[in-house]
Amino acid sequence: MFKGVYSWIDERLDITPMWRDVADHEVPEHVNPAHHFSAFVYCFGGLTFFITVIQILSGMFLTMYYVPDIVNAYYSVEYLQTKVAFGQIVRGMHHWGASLVIVMMLLHTLRVFFTGSYKAPREMNWVVGMLIFFVMLGLGFTGYLLPWDNKGYFATKVSMEIADTVPYIGPYLKELLQGGTVVGAQTLTRFFAIHVFFLPGALLALLGAHFFMIRRQGISGPL
Amino acid sequence: MSKPHNNEQTPQKPGKEMSRRQFLTYTLGGASAFMFVGPAIPMVRFAVDPLLQKKTEGKYIKVVEANKVTNEPQEFSFEITQIDGWYESKPTLVAWVSKDQQGNIFALSPICKHLGCTVDWNNNAKFKDQYFCPCHGAHYTREGKQLAVARAPLDEYKVKVENGFVYLGDIIPNQHVQ
Amino acid sequence: MAHGKSKDEKVVYVGDSRVKQKVNDITPLDYSSYPGKSEAFIPNFLLKEWMVGCVALVAIFVLTISEPAPLGYPANPNNTGFVPIPDWYFLFLYQFLKYPYAAGSYVVIGTVLIPGLAFGGLLLAPFLDTGKERRFYRRPIASSLMILSLLSCVYLTKTAWDGYKHEIAELNITPEHIEREEKAREAALAGKPAGQPKPNKSIAIVDKDDPAFANMKKAGCLACHATDMKGASGPALLGIGDTMNKDQVLDVIKNGKGNMPPMVDSAKAQGLNDEDIEHIADWLAKQKAAQ
Repeated sequence: MFKGVYSWIDERLDITPMWRDVADHEVPEHVNPAHHFSAFVYCFGGLTFFITVIQILSGMFLTMYYVPDIVNAYYSVEYLQTKVAFGQIVRGMHHWGASLVIVMMLLHTLRVFFTGSYKAPREMNWVVGMLIFFVMLGLGFTGYLLPWDNKGYFATKVSMEIADTVPYIGPYLKELLQGGTVVGAQTLTRFFAIHVFFLPGALLALLGAHFFMIRRQGISGPL
Repeated sequence: MSKPHNNEQTPQKPGKEMSRRQFLTYTLGGASAFMFVGPAIPMVRFAVDPLLQKKTEGKYIKVVEANKVTNEPQEFSFEITQIDGWYESKPTLVAWVSKDQQGNIFALSPICKHLGCTVDWNNNAKFKDQYFCPCHGAHYTREGKQLAVARAPLDEYKVKVENGFVYLGDIIPNQHVQ
Repeated sequence: MAHGKSKDEKVVYVGDSRVKQKVNDITPLDYSSYPGKSEAFIPNFLLKEWMVGCVALVAIFVLTISEPAPLGYPANPNNTGFVPIPDWYFLFLYQFLKYPYAAGSYVVIGTVLIPGLAFGGLLLAPFLDTGKERRFYRRPIASSLMILSLLSCVYLTKTAWDGYKHEIAELNITPEHIEREEKAREAALAGKPAGQPKPNKSIAIVDKDDPAFANMKKAGCLACHATDMKGASGPALLGIGDTMNKDQVLDVIKNGKGNMPPMVDSAKAQGLNDEDIEHIADWLAKQKAAQ
């Protein structure tokens, strides 16, 4: 039955080569911890991606309850965390996952750095990876404000003062980020839009480029 | 060196033993299932939570003195406290309160059962002493029995009379007529 | 490569689409020219990756179940008693900006120059470190720079965290997310609703002309609770009568609560007598949200 449906689609769209390409490609043995345990350092990239997927999913589910509005934001978060079944787990996954992504990404970056894997011909992939790092930090920064509790509010205020000190463009940068002259309603909606649409969009594009380059160039050889 | 996994594909005796390849595939399938189902369970339960929340029985709201209710339907509005997740509001509801033939007080909801417009009592000369909906011309008898367009009688409120006051509660299907 | 056979010399399309007519089964890819030892992505390699993923997933679940995501109190811009702290991965920058050479008139060094150099250097690493050598111990400059910046980030983060711990210990502050959770647990045990009360704009001061209000100003109550009683470093007193009765209010005035010291002595120093204080408690207990 499944086979029949599959070949019906395959006949029309010829999808087999797409997944066979992913499934059949060979991976060098030196990155597999089953052969040398020290190769576990090669797992961090995959783990970063796995946790990123969890972040995207849990984030999608959180927006079912969350409202980016300074009057209701806090209460919607409180509601989803305390009143909705598994709310504590889903928000916890998103909260702790954010920290874990940063940890995994840091470890991944260090692995790439210390194994010199960013060297020619893989320079571009390193640059894309660093951009992913910045996007992740941006996601952490914008996400911190969203529950609209004191912690997020004051941390954002401090960050705005930091933005303000940038020479020449500082005050404009601050107002652009704040969406006004104070950290308030417009800051929250702005951060929400950045956190939920702009940065994830950029992240997905960068991840696509990252993986594309890995497939093109393969994993760097053994040291 | 190439295709190391192809060497394992030596023909097996049918049944019993599992090939290495099969074992790997099953383990991979199991691990994938765990990784997808594990996060999915809390998230899906989280999403369907509104369906499974215990519905609270609505409170009865004091609306009017019982002796003011007549055989002729009268319109009364009252406020209920509605808790919608984190949002609390006090929407105003309207009830048409009158007495049935046995003298029991009943209250009809003015929401037309056709497409949800609001009906009014005796507002159309053609349908005297009837509820009439201006949207598509649905009209109902005094007990809320549908006469045209609509497919069900008007809903009614749960009614409680205590200490000479009429209290209205949840909206339920019409109990007087079919 | 192996599929160089000219099977599809004459391309046959499915219907009028651009998808080619399938000739026969896919020829497995040939890796004979691939350098080094290798193995198939599925299932051999992916299985190991998946195993690690499962362990990580279990770890996430253990973490989320044992440690609920922190949530403080609703943001209150007038709150002066709050010690702001960023998420842990920004702590190093937060600490760095506290140093005199990265603050005051040199703040640009701390906010733009150093972070810009660090992140710029990281971004452009492959173009700065262009040698062929990949082993880290054979490229001492790059490696030592990285190790040095890592160590300084760890040091800055630790200093920031210790400083924060020290500060809240000194100010005797419980971090809000912990306090909120404890209070919620207590309220749940007592069978009371555990959520934060919503600010109600319609709450007004009841009987504003009462001398109690003037006395509160005199006694310094409103320094913390704000002159409109909407709360600043102390909580709002508007509608306080909904949650406390006169005796409870009097108890707080006499014994303090949380960060609030006992106020009786300082009130008396401002010329209030016991009767005045009792009247204040009475008046506060009458502060109920308008129905």
